[in-house]
Amino acid sequence: MSAEHTISLADLRAKQPRFQGLTAGHRACLGCGQALAARLVTEAAGPDVAVANATGCLEVFTTPYPESSWRLPWLHSVFGNAGAVAAGMEAAYKKQGKSTKVIAMAGDGGTFDIGFQALSGMLERGHNVLYVCYDNEAYMNTGVQRSGSTPHAATTTTSPAGAARMGKRHMKKDIVTIIAAHRIPYAATASVAYVSDLRRKVRHALEVDGPSFLHIHAPCPLGWGHEGAATIEVARLAVQTGLFPLIELERGELTAVMPIRQPRPVRDYLALQNRFRHLFSQDPRAQVELEHLQALADHNIEVYGLLGENADAQDSEGADTVQRGGVRWA
Amino acid sequence: MTKLTRGAIALPGTSLANRTGSWRVMRPLHQHRAAPCHTACPAGEDAQDWIARFDVGDWQGAWQALVSANPLPAISGRVCPHPCESACNRGRYDQPIAIHSLERYLGDMALQQGWDYPVAPLDAALPAVAVVGAGPAGLSAAYHLRRQGFKVSLIEALPQAGGTLRSALPYYRLPTEVLEGEIAHLLALGLDWRPHTRLGRDVSLEELEQDFAAVFLGPGNQKGRRWDVSFAVPDTLRVGLELLHEWMRMGTVATPRSVAIVGGGNTAVDLGRILKRLGAAEVHLITHERIPGPGVADFDAMPAAEREVRQAIEEGVVVHEHRSVRRLLLKGNKVIGVEMVHAKKLVGADGRPRLTTFEGTESVLHVEEVIPAIGQQVDAEGFEPLLQGRPFIPVDAYSGAVPGSAKLFAGGDARGDHGTVSAAVGDGRRAALAIARRLRGQGELNPETRATIGFEQLNLNYYEHQPRQEAAVLPPAERVCHQEVESGLAPAQAALEARRCLSCGNCLACDNCWTLCPDSSVLKTRERASDGSHYVFDYDYCKGCGLCAQECPTGYIVMQPEY
Repeated sequence: MSAEHTISLADLRAKQPRFQGLTAGHRACLGCGQALAARLVTEAAGPDVAVANATGCLEVFTTPYPESSWRLPWLHSVFGNAGAVAAGMEAAYKKQGKSTKVIAMAGDGGTFDIGFQALSGMLERGHNVLYVCYDNEAYMNTGVQRSGSTPHAATTTTSPAGAARMGKRHMKKDIVTIIAAHRIPYAATASVAYVSDLRRKVRHALEVDGPSFLHIHAPCPLGWGHEGAATIEVARLAVQTGLFPLIELERGELTAVMPIRQPRPVRDYLALQNRFRHLFSQDPRAQVELEHLQALADHNIEVYGLLGENADAQDSEGADTVQRGGVRWA
Repeated sequence: MTKLTRGAIALPGTSLANRTGSWRVMRPLHQHRAAPCHTACPAGEDAQDWIARFDVGDWQGAWQALVSANPLPAISGRVCPHPCESACNRGRYDQPIAIHSLERYLGDMALQQGWDYPVAPLDAALPAVAVVGAGPAGLSAAYHLRRQGFKVSLIEALPQAGGTLRSALPYYRLPTEVLEGEIAHLLALGLDWRPHTRLGRDVSLEELEQDFAAVFLGPGNQKGRRWDVSFAVPDTLRVGLELLHEWMRMGTVATPRSVAIVGGGNTAVDLGRILKRLGAAEVHLITHERIPGPGVADFDAMPAAEREVRQAIEEGVVVHEHRSVRRLLLKGNKVIGVEMVHAKKLVGADGRPRLTTFEGTESVLHVEEVIPAIGQQVDAEGFEPLLQGRPFIPVDAYSGAVPGSAKLFAGGDARGDHGTVSAAVGDGRRAALAIARRLRGQGELNPETRATIGFEQLNLNYYEHQPRQEAAVLPPAERVCHQEVESGLAPAQAALEARRCLSCGNCLACDNCWTLCPDSSVLKTRERASDGSHYVFDYDYCKGCGLCAQECPTGYIVMQPEY
């Protein structure tokens, strides 16, 4: 410890030993999973990156006129065309002989539903772009309407639990398999609860030549109905139950998974969130839906082979072991 | 109106202008709570603190932090029953940190490297203090007074310092070199060392009270307690503590072929192990209590250290738990056996445990000798009035101040309510702090009030199971009197063990809060921040979501209402 000295917070902020492409003062809700995910992606990707951002929470909370939280080239497209805009940016940089990396960012609405054709076109044309989808499983920015990504049985304002149905009737769209079917070099899922894994996937996605896709599970405290402090806990349980498998696909083939050391029952995950509160009611349908969600998790564990044989330093319980001094594996 | 020409750009403002801190209703704060190892340590060591220094390779700094409470780490690392390890939160995760092994490692390293105790220079303005008895309590009191600049006279009846450490701890537990090394190191601090000076014979308590501003008494328990029984005992009866002292002095004692030792303390256990080493074929230990271990209530556990009892059993000592002696079987003046009966301490209506024996459960053990080792008491020569007719010195439980006296303090075994080296070291330390406060006119010493952090307040998702590093122990067949049973950790083992510490209640510098804050409102500092952590909350932007507190592995962050 050297002699005591003081430093202003602004100076300290300026000297943080990480790339701060997305800074403070943004208007995301307390405990926002997407704000965290976007910061982590930017940090791992930077500094020579440019972002095409579809309409959605991220765009809204980072850039209310006349301020911006972005400290890198950033372009707001419309809701449905982040893929197309990013493709154009990539082509322009290539023409200029620049190596700046282009990242498209969109929510699940802008990816699974509205922006899907632009994304598919970008992948098909082979643009060297990383497309990141922050998945909070509904249209949160406009007031929690169901999306193609909303999981089965979750309540939203357009799939309310009640007399007619126990939340959303349909299944969550298996987007990563659809993306992988484009035979792109790299597609992966990640979670804000597994930071080292997420960082590694961002770096790897940017290293590959050609389009890559990263699907990040990012809880929304407001839309999911949990405390802001519980964001990581909720995201971690999604992985540990098997409901959100962390997988990597290269040219459409499954190449790696994060093993689950000890699968947790889906109840542990669901009970933390109000959007699944009706599943814990006396309604006889509740039990059926709980079993249904458990079966979906078990199915994921089976088809992706998520069950680890032995405790592994990079499985669902070992992956973010901390050490004094902040040493992590990625 | 500003006219924009073609190609002009407008730089946007930064969102840093938007102070989202105004949203906050809960504020994250760093709160350094006490680790359970610290709360449990009778000597007052903060193991979490010194293990953290150890973990980053600052061994000397770790040793200095350790000796800020306990000047005898090489000794207590060997002989302490380490209640810190029983309290260790990691024990509920996999296995507790081997704190005693790390303590011993640092103590040995300090002796090897010759590191100096950090002490303040003698302050001529401060009055002199006398410490009577150079056992663990007296050595600790003298050291802590000297540390603060006081001139200390250390008065000892015997030619050498050490007290119980020298008179009753066998070589196989505490090698003489270690004892000599640490004591010589302490005495070299510039103490006025007065051996061969017995209280009551060479100097009186009144004289000391006259000559010194304060007097600390650490006389120890030097007399074996008499066996107060209703049955006949042979007039050749040998008492445990005295036999142990004799063996420590002479290196041998007359050894029967078979023997029953009555008692469950360290004296009984050590004597059993020694007689076994000297060739006794059968050594029995008869105790009211049970073998200590997990699930055994404190009042029902033998007072001896668990590790020592375990090793004694490995060496062939037979422990008869929950037994009481009903009478001796005598042939003339010679013991031929002992009649035992099942006995148990039962908690009575007044809430106090009382020994109850069960008729019809008597049995006979055929042995050549019975040795009572049922405790020890103060040899009060020179200060009888202080005892007020009791077998111990009554004192204030925290500071050790003798009630009704402005100058007198006491501690160690002689206060009668505890009997370990680390408890004695703690008594000496607290008394020294209390004396220093009193003499500097700063009032009385108050107990520490920091809350202890529980297991439930840790976030275990960020830790990984790691086996505890165990020191090598001699196989029972190879154990002899003059070889230490347990050896130290190898350097690589010690480093691994220090890394296992969960850092309960204190900053681990793991970067979790910095990494996981969605609002970039935790800033990392290169130097330590003023609160001892490595991070600063930027309350201009912190919205108070509480994610950092929830995900802090060590429970170092708490949320507090703003209004």
